[in-house]
Amino acid sequence: MIQSKREYLEQLNKELRNHPGKQEIIQDYEHHISELMLELSRGQLDEEEVIKQVLVQLGTPAEIAVSWQEELSVTPVKTQWLFIIANLLFFIAGTLLTVIHNMVEWSWVDILWESLTSIPSLIIVMYLIFWALLGYEIGKSFGHGGRNLMQKTFVLSLLPNVVLMNLTLFNIIPHDWFYPLLNQHFIVKCVVFTLLLYPVCWAGYRWGKYESV
Amino acid sequence: MFNRELLKGSTSLVLLQLLNERDMYGYELVKELAKRSEQSLQVKEGTLYPALHKLEKQEYIQCYWQEQEKGPARKYYKITDEGKNVLLEKTKEWQHFVQVMNKVIRRTENDSI
Repeated sequence: MIQSKREYLEQLNKELRNHPGKQEIIQDYEHHISELMLELSRGQLDEEEVIKQVLVQLGTPAEIAVSWQEELSVTPVKTQWLFIIANLLFFIAGTLLTVIHNMVEWSWVDILWESLTSIPSLIIVMYLIFWALLGYEIGKSFGHGGRNLMQKTFVLSLLPNVVLMNLTLFNIIPHDWFYPLLNQHFIVKCVVFTLLLYPVCWAGYRWGKYESV
Repeated sequence: MFNRELLKGSTSLVLLQLLNERDMYGYELVKELAKRSEQSLQVKEGTLYPALHKLEKQEYIQCYWQEQEKGPARKYYKITDEGKNVLLEKTKEWQHFVQVMNKVIRRTENDSI
């Protein structure tokens, strides 16, 4: 049972484990408890009684640590890598499908390829939603402070797209591998939608930012 | 006292509103909130600092230390211009929500009584 301010802060220090902002957090609570104790001690209570009241008003160190862990569960680095890896996985899945379709005689892969290449517009729209979600999540979690993170995540996530475009443009990946997709109409569509990626991501960010409070 | 979930969703808005009136330190925010709401809105004080930290990360508020004539320095929180913008937007949304809910609830009361 906690009986003094020192014990409360020691327990909080223990509960916060390796939290990066630990010292600053403990300092905030130390000041808060001092203010609270000052006010409560005016009512002629001894420290033990005051600490009981502190536990009621402030919560236990374990409860406080949980709320800080929740706060730490969404970090800029985690969010950034989540979207970069998700986009990379799209590309890895697409690459595997293309290579297997062109180099191995697996009928189920051919059926899957034909199904997907018959709905290119739907896939493009779904992909645009992914970019809107990227902006939205960053806006919602980091508000106005997330604008640089959104731009950086956008650029890094776009790298696989740029690499694929160049590999295709310079014929390093044979054009006929993408049959029947790679016609002039589809290329124009891809260019237009690629230009739309940033505005879509930005709109998602603005929407998320609105929802951040 | 209100349902905890109801308060949870509006803590940030309430904090921004209080800081829009003047810079305050953590303990002062809790006291002001309790006083203003006639003790109806009482946040669990331990959760106040994660909420303030989140608003700071979102660049809606800033903090600074101020020396006191008596006692240790205090950490004050100040609303930013972006915080004021988001407060304005969310206050409009909240007022609209309250208007709509009032209309709906009033009608229900009339129907049932």
